[in-house]
Amino acid sequence: MLCILYCGKAKAVRGFERGRASVNTGWLQAVNKKEHTSYFRSTMAAAGCVVRSLRLFCRRLQFPQHETRHLRNYWKCGTFALSNSLRQPSLTSAACLHTGKVYCALSPTITVTDEPDVLYQKVEVLVKGHDRAVLDSYEFFTTMAAKELGINISKVEEPKKKIERLTLLKSVHIHKKHRVQYEMRTHYRNFEFLRLTGSTARVFLEYLQRNLPEGVAMEVTKTEIEKVPEHILEPLWNSIPEKEQSSQ
Amino acid sequence: MAAAAMCSVVMSLSRINQRLGVLTLNPVHKGAAYSKGVSVRGRRGGPPSSRPRREAGPPRWEKMTPDQDWTAVYPTAAAFKPSAVPLPIRMGYPVERGVPPAKEGNLELIKIPNFLHLTPAAIKKHCEALRLFCTEWPSALDSDAHCEEHFPIQLESRDYVFAGPSLRNPQARVVTLRVKLSSLNLDDHARKKMIKLVGERYCKKSDTLTLTADRCPLRKQNKDYAFYLLTVLYHESWKTEAWEQEKTVEDMEEYSWEDSPSQRNVLDTLLRMRTLGDSADAAVDTDSVRKELLASSEVQEYAASVSRLKNEGESESSVLQYREAVKKVLRL
Repeated sequence: MLCILYCGKAKAVRGFERGRASVNTGWLQAVNKKEHTSYFRSTMAAAGCVVRSLRLFCRRLQFPQHETRHLRNYWKCGTFALSNSLRQPSLTSAACLHTGKVYCALSPTITVTDEPDVLYQKVEVLVKGHDRAVLDSYEFFTTMAAKELGINISKVEEPKKKIERLTLLKSVHIHKKHRVQYEMRTHYRNFEFLRLTGSTARVFLEYLQRNLPEGVAMEVTKTEIEKVPEHILEPLWNSIPEKEQSSQ
Repeated sequence: MAAAAMCSVVMSLSRINQRLGVLTLNPVHKGAAYSKGVSVRGRRGGPPSSRPRREAGPPRWEKMTPDQDWTAVYPTAAAFKPSAVPLPIRMGYPVERGVPPAKEGNLELIKIPNFLHLTPAAIKKHCEALRLFCTEWPSALDSDAHCEEHFPIQLESRDYVFAGPSLRNPQARVVTLRVKLSSLNLDDHARKKMIKLVGERYCKKSDTLTLTADRCPLRKQNKDYAFYLLTVLYHESWKTEAWEQEKTVEDMEEYSWEDSPSQRNVLDTLLRMRTLGDSADAAVDTDSVRKELLASSEVQEYAASVSRLKNEGESESSVLQYREAVKKVLRL
């Protein structure tokens, strides 16, 4: 399940810290110095507070063992929210005995890896369904979830519905003049989110997809932005002059 | 006779046993949704079973308070339960000038997906937990221009979520790479060669090169292939081959006025005008005169107007500019 056992969150901050080490040679040279320092100050501040909050979270999780135990109890009914477990802190000692060490192994970890986070300039979500009311409700859910998580929603559109009609013979045999017509209506809803990090996109998209109603399909278009790879910065012929002459 | 009596007794006993057996089997099937209090096979219009069906108590919604925790009633997606939802909902077609049917036993309400598990309170709770796993967007990249400046390459890919005989969509492996040529390190010759190499994949208006990779079965492989293509194009465009010396005027991407028929014609015309004007000067060094004419401002203006006409096409302003330039050159 998603909530607690989610691991492998890459932090964008770490990647830029790495970039900081290569400031003299790397791409940041071109950046305006003022912007650079303020940007790094903000990222370092962000890193600091995220690391602090992570430590707090880890401490919070290690200390009250009953929270993790409650997750196990609610697992059967497929509860997804952590805060449900916080409602009833009391538990019988028998259950404690059973669940003791297992939850140390299953204790939730947010791992912060060193690899730089992927950056998505745009994530477009197109949902298709046969019922407009269902898509309306889903739109309310999506917009609210995005607002809560601080994701920038640039536009929510409703492309025109498409109706696929087919005409069939009404009778099994002959009676060509009598037909029956069926139609399939597909309604659409388009959401566009701007500037998401890889971790945020993964979490948010999984949340949306797990709560996709029955009979609704989704298509996600992600636009990732990347730096120009190092081997394309300079033509390699410059470093091998003999080869250049021979090619000429 | 005793045997017959015994047989009949045994038969009746067996029948009773059967009935008892049926009765004992009933509790096992109690959990099934379709079970009735009395099994049809064992009873054919017989007396009702000694174990009565449990009376349905008052519906759950009667005990609900307005300030209850709704997220506990519907923690996950579940079918509509009329006894658990305290709303007086009606749904369906009103038959015989009546009202839409009530919620009890209403199949329409059960069929349609409900969002009772995704109330604002529930969404807030979920997001509280999810926020810990989200990372912040770098504050320096707050606009598209900044993103373009530091991260010029854009990779587009699609994911699909749907239900069908197969969960896989073959379009999910396609990767599209977009990059602006101005952000790559290319000189003039390399840029022109690159544009010639890629052909239709380059858009002149937006200066964007689009490479679509779909020849590999996995998305990662297609992404690597797209980068490989870009690398190869880049290095090939920096190379100058021997046969590139044979580039003719037809191969040129844009019109250049130097060494063109237009330049020759203008210079010839002006020279002839001059020789007609200065009648007897025979010892005229044509080369120096040509250079002098070329350097003059009217000829430069004429050159600019002709280049503009050829490169940008005919428009009202470009034709007017050409007219002014011609008038100045011919001193009309």
